Amino acid sequence: MLESLKELITNYVEVDINDIKEDSRFIEDLGFNSYVFMSFLGEVEDIYDVEVDEQEVLKLITVADAIAYIQRLQSEE
Amino acid sequence: MSITKENTLTLRDLIYNSAEEFEENTFIRYKVKKNIIDKSYRQFKTDCEAFGSFIKENISNDRLHIAIVGTTAYHYLTGFFGTVISNNIIVPLDSQLSADDICDCVNRADVTVFLYDSRFSALVPKVRELCPQVTDIVQLDGSPIDDSIYSLDSIVKEYNGKSTNVEIDPKSCTAIIYTSGTTGKSKGVMLSHENLMDNCFCNDNESKVGDIILSALPIHHVYCLSCDIILSIKYGAIVCINDNLMHLGKNIATFQPNKMLLVPMIIQTLLFKINALCKENPTIDKQLIARKVLGDNLTIIFSGGAYLSPNIIKGFNELGIKVAQGYGMTECSPRISTGSEFEDNPIDSIGKIVNGCQVRIVDGEIQVKSKSVMMGYYKNPQATKETITEDGWLRTGDLGYKDDNGCLYITGRKKNLIILDNGENVSPEELENKFADNLLVKEVLVYAKDYVITAEIFPNLDYAEANNITDIKSQLQKDIDSINLTLPSAKTIRNLVVRTVEFEKTTSKKIKRSQVGM
Repeated sequence: MLESLKELITNYVEVDINDIKEDSRFIEDLGFNSYVFMSFLGEVEDIYDVEVDEQEVLKLITVADAIAYIQRLQSEE
Repeated sequence: MSITKENTLTLRDLIYNSAEEFEENTFIRYKVKKNIIDKSYRQFKTDCEAFGSFIKENISNDRLHIAIVGTTAYHYLTGFFGTVISNNIIVPLDSQLSADDICDCVNRADVTVFLYDSRFSALVPKVRELCPQVTDIVQLDGSPIDDSIYSLDSIVKEYNGKSTNVEIDPKSCTAIIYTSGTTGKSKGVMLSHENLMDNCFCNDNESKVGDIILSALPIHHVYCLSCDIILSIKYGAIVCINDNLMHLGKNIATFQPNKMLLVPMIIQTLLFKINALCKENPTIDKQLIARKVLGDNLTIIFSGGAYLSPNIIKGFNELGIKVAQGYGMTECSPRISTGSEFEDNPIDSIGKIVNGCQVRIVDGEIQVKSKSVMMGYYKNPQATKETITEDGWLRTGDLGYKDDNGCLYITGRKKNLIILDNGENVSPEELENKFADNLLVKEVLVYAKDYVITAEIFPNLDYAEANNITDIKSQLQKDIDSINLTLPSAKTIRNLVVRTVEFEKTTSKKIKRSQVGM
């Protein structure tokens, strides 16, 4: 999942794909703003066929957090 | 009959005239799961009147101050316009504020009736606890959480067909809208029917019957209220509701708007995405990719709330999409200058000054005078006096100039207010005050660097030593994380700079803001 998320991230922010790591923080390291993050999550919903919770996503700080969250949602389906 | 400036002096006139003019045409379009629901202009008037009648018959015949918390939805608009067409004053509040801040605004605006969307039902116990003057609470959608709360659904059924039959003075206040002040505390901007109607009629031919607008702006802002909603009612356009910013892409595909009003943050992101997809698919025509992201019918994006870089405008122009930049502020209902579908303003301008609005430049500051200028700040004559000159000119706090064609340009800010690229205004002092009780912070300044809110802190080294705090930066970051939990996400502090020396001061021992960070 990391690789596909990395590709998706490059559709939203100007960052070298090789610089995206599991511990990269969306806002501080990758340059996401609040709208980019919401927009990114909207596409995550489509790609991984999950429904994210608006309050819970506020707790996602790093790429690893997002992967764990998506995997949890998929296992709950 | 057509809707004219002469026959439309109040929001009540607007709702009545639109119901007569556009009848069963769709006003609001929204999705419920996979179904598309349409509500007509006539239905909207009926539902607003039902709610207004309920207020008059069941709560009070006096003019009430009614707060509303929610996001754009048919039921929200019914509560909003039902309030104002029955001669009450609406107080729209930012749903992202903390419960304490919402209650503070409710109390400061002398609110006695509280309307809320069920997604924010957690606010109700707080309002009951902290706002003793609130006597009645209405849930705008679904079944209320307890029997003492009214349900809008039930009200519109029970009062269906009733009307309030009130006379409204166009000069009377109809809305108190909070805006960030430069002194830390938000201020309630009082707008009259006349203010909003003047702004509604300040341009011609901005839209037409059947235009499809996708409303994605926050409804508690006057930019959304005035330009997405009120203008659409004037022209008989269809307002489609973007239920969540997360789903903007999907909603564009579903509703296929031909116009959208957005803030720079979103406009930039859309262009970035189109360019990224073009790079990924170099053999596919750019305009085809743009249509995939923006829909097949979009011809124009209106930008407001903050300054949009000309490079972004050029990027859209290359894709065959026009971007029209405008400028305004809550205190001016809000439009001062606008871009147009039919005319090209210089790409670096912030639009042509609207009809009926006079602009002068005093010491570099843009000042405006028009019927759109607010009545004043609610119960804050001092702030009103500081913002409106004795001869009635509104000090915008922005530095700029105008050209011979009536186009306006911005060169900087006079007032100490952060304007983010999503259009939110943030008072640095409001955020700095959050550190007031933090003993580890000796001095703090908050500012925006490339639209990122930054706190620059000179720590209290004696306190750190006495309390064995060795990693000062980590501790300060933890403190900021706690503060951020109390703030709307767009206003959170995203960057921390720890200083090793004190800030440079003025002779009166105030920190020199202009010397720092920016």
